[in-house]
Amino acid sequence: MTTFLLIIHTLVAVALLGSLTHQAVAACWPSASKAGFVASYRSVSAARFTNVNIALYVTMLVLGGVIYPAYRVGVRTYLESARLYSSVGYFEMKEQFVTIGLGLLPLFWLLWRQPLEKDLQFARAATTFLLCFIVWFSFIVGHLLVNVRGLFGL
Amino acid sequence: MKIERAFPLFAAAFAVIYVIAVEYNLALVTYHPKLKEWGFLTEQPKAGGPAMYWYGWILTATLGAGVVSLAALPILPRLKSFVWIGWVIPLLVMASFLYFLRTFFLH
Repeated sequence: MTTFLLIIHTLVAVALLGSLTHQAVAACWPSASKAGFVASYRSVSAARFTNVNIALYVTMLVLGGVIYPAYRVGVRTYLESARLYSSVGYFEMKEQFVTIGLGLLPLFWLLWRQPLEKDLQFARAATTFLLCFIVWFSFIVGHLLVNVRGLFGL
Repeated sequence: MKIERAFPLFAAAFAVIYVIAVEYNLALVTYHPKLKEWGFLTEQPKAGGPAMYWYGWILTATLGAGVVSLAALPILPRLKSFVWIGWVIPLLVMASFLYFLRTFFLH
């Protein structure tokens, strides 16, 4: 069951990565033109991604919370016995960053509420970029931890 | 009085209360994963297994930030003038975690 939930957790994270990156790029580097792939990527209606991104973030966090005990009992003790303290540290960092992102979600929703307020454009881009960073960091750390035995030849 | 005016303050208060909760271990609940047992407030590990405080820290931060936001709602200035605290304070708290977690990387 834990493996199944871990896979769902990963798939939700992949969807969130794509969706939030799209929104962050459109917020930080907007484009009015749709000429070419990059300009099209930048010119999406970023506000439409907001509710889906919030739902995916909360889903990802809840699933992570459900499978966390398995990590705490089975994986972390193993990492500590293998003296892979930096791996434990990166997971701790991921845990804290993701939680801070949870507290950002109401503000994220407010900043993207339609009609968009022009005065809040910088705060909107900064908040979206921060959430995007949290999700990318967490995804990379999670991915490395899943593969830690192979990566460290254990 | 619109509650969403307090969202920047909520984000800032959540981050600050969360880092305090983590550093001083102020968890509203504790989970003992080996026993599959919940406890109220911060409890010591039981039966040779670890104790998990993360759920409790989230509850502490959510409740604390909610109370701070509601209490400050009547005196909050216009949204645009202080919206920056909603992302700057969490960013600073994230940076502070790099310091607090440094011991993991100094072995």
